[in-house]
Amino acid sequence: MMRGAVDEAKLLLIGIPVAIWTLLPIYHMFLFSISSKEEAFSGKAWPDHPTLRNFGVVFREQHYFLNHFWQQFANSLLIAVAVGVLTLAVAATAAFAISRLRTRGGRVVLNCALFTYFIPAAFLAVPMYKAMGAYSLLNSKWSLILAMVTIASPYAIWVLKQASDRLPYELDEAARIDGASPLQLFRLVYLPLMAPSLVAVGTYALLLAWNEYLYAFLLLSRDQDITLPVALGHFLSADDSPWELLMTAGLVYALPPAAIYYAFKRYMVAGLTTGAVKS
Amino acid sequence: MSSVSFHHVEKSFGATKVIHGISFDIADGEFMVLVGPSGCGKSTLLRMLAGLEDITSGTIAIDGRVVNDVDSKDRDIAMVFQSYALYPHMSVRENMGFRLRLRRADRREIDTRVARAAQILKLEPYLDRFPRELSGGQRQRVAMGRAIVRDPKVFLFDEPLSNLDAKLRVQMRSEIKALHQRLKTTTVYVTHDQIEAMTMADRIVVMHDGRVEQIGRPLDLYDRPNNLFVAQFIGSPAMNVVSGTVRRHNGSAWLEADGVRWPMGEVPGAEGQPVVFGVRPEHLDLARTDGDHVAGDVIVVEPTGAETELLVQVGASQVTLVTSGRPRVRPGERIALAVEPGMGHVFDRESGQRLVD
Ligand SMILES: Nc1ncnc2c1ncn2[C@@H]1O[C@H](COP(=O)(O)OP(=O)(O)O)[C@@H](O)[C@H]1O
Ligand SMILES: [Mg+2]
Repeated sequence: MMRGAVDEAKLLLIGIPVAIWTLLPIYHMFLFSISSKEEAFSGKAWPDHPTLRNFGVVFREQHYFLNHFWQQFANSLLIAVAVGVLTLAVAATAAFAISRLRTRGGRVVLNCALFTYFIPAAFLAVPMYKAMGAYSLLNSKWSLILAMVTIASPYAIWVLKQASDRLPYELDEAARIDGASPLQLFRLVYLPLMAPSLVAVGTYALLLAWNEYLYAFLLLSRDQDITLPVALGHFLSADDSPWELLMTAGLVYALPPAAIYYAFKRYMVAGLTTGAVKS
Repeated sequence: MSSVSFHHVEKSFGATKVIHGISFDIADGEFMVLVGPSGCGKSTLLRMLAGLEDITSGTIAIDGRVVNDVDSKDRDIAMVFQSYALYPHMSVRENMGFRLRLRRADRREIDTRVARAAQILKLEPYLDRFPRELSGGQRQRVAMGRAIVRDPKVFLFDEPLSNLDAKLRVQMRSEIKALHQRLKTTTVYVTHDQIEAMTMADRIVVMHDGRVEQIGRPLDLYDRPNNLFVAQFIGSPAMNVVSGTVRRHNGSAWLEADGVRWPMGEVPGAEGQPVVFGVRPEHLDLARTDGDHVAGDVIVVEPTGAETELLVQVGASQVTLVTSGRPRVRPGERIALAVEPGMGHVFDRESGQRLVD
């Protein structure tokens, strides 16, 4: 009894500061979004006249910086989903080939995948820009999609390979004896059993693309092509930034990841830690 | 219905040779058990037959057709793994019908065949459950069901009962045996458990270090083991063995071991030949002190009800004696033992081979 209480107290002692530390900026953002322009910088913990007007302005694109808000939101969404799906396709097939089919050279691919993380993504931004230029992909959504798939894939392959290794190999042998071709094995046995890890890795890639700023900034430039984070960045280019609108748009921008996180939380934890399926 | 034959089969993993030239034939409908200690190459041999491992040299034929280069799925075999290897995301029904589904059999055919297998194995109530919702014995049955749905030429089992508790193991043993008697499909069954081998097999292949030690019907192996390895591997409690020297005098023969004189009766072996003398525990009897006998001190008495097992110190060796009934002996007591006439086994000490009589 005593011990439990002490442990709990310790946990709270750590937990409360951490919670405040992470929640404060979010609360701040929320405050801005329900304050009028005049009240935004009043420094109060709760506005005198909370209002939802800012949301109306954002949703109806009633400001110069918000002219393409929904278009940009859609761009972000499309790009993020495409990156998630393509990364999964690349990583699942690679992990399957390396881990289950024991393709020759698999180790080399894995080591290369790990090695790419010694090079910061920012270093590759300019070469990537040149490469996209060479393929005339600049200003096309494909440039950002391909760039993000490139960045997300090595880690995704690595994680899926580890998870694949934990599937009992006898399942593959049983399927082979049952007459499954490698593709049938992939589709009918491997993918269903890997589902938790696939969800986790797909979500990882999707959020990576959703959050990306640097590459989006470099590769896309027309107002109707850019993604939300870049558009939000434009707010800061004015001397008199409409902070309350920036924060409101930011809050809307932060909602999908939170929703995805809650929808797939179960899989994220299971996928990234255990990933194993008992036979 | 099919025969299987192994012809000078060898297997190496890299530079390590684990199967050293094995040849034998399995008749159509036969239940053949491969038995041997762990690591002797049983699974490797079975997996070569299944097409899961390459054959380094030699040939394996099913129904007279060499299958070395034939894909697993075209060998028409079914295998039951030790871990069962059931597909965790499929129901029992889907597990059993998977092969047929891959072959694009029509739904009705799949359903009838799954239903028939389920009926044979009493799995009907569980068809819509998932493997994780089944007990060990039920999973085992599903694994067998998956095999029989396919109606293959050969069934392969790799230690299918090792993950079950002792009681269930005995029960499944007879179920598998009954299934074989019903379906009469050629079966190759791998186990390290000699009791499983003895009780289930039509014939047994005893393996050791990648070689075949002996092939034969269970009781033939028991009664006439070709060498010391088989003698000690088959039978429980294990055969007693004593090393010594053959002595012959005036038409009677005995084994001299550490000053103990073991009367052997009519057995082979030349005077002075170094041998190992073997006798099964049930062929040692409590004797009267006035006949030919060996004296020993009782160490342990283990009554099991129908039988009593005695551990007895004779000279430098300890021997086990199994006798029916409940003899009145106690630890520490000195008793007289006799070997039942004609029941001794003599092996050359150097080669371990049985001396022919
Ligand atoms: N894939 C493998 N690579 C290397 N050595 C192996 C492999 N599979 C089995 N072996 C070796 O081959 C020998 C026989 O193994 P196995 O057939 O599994 O024995 P058993 O089934 O009789 O216990 C063992 O010494 C084992 O270490
Ligand atoms: Mg084995």
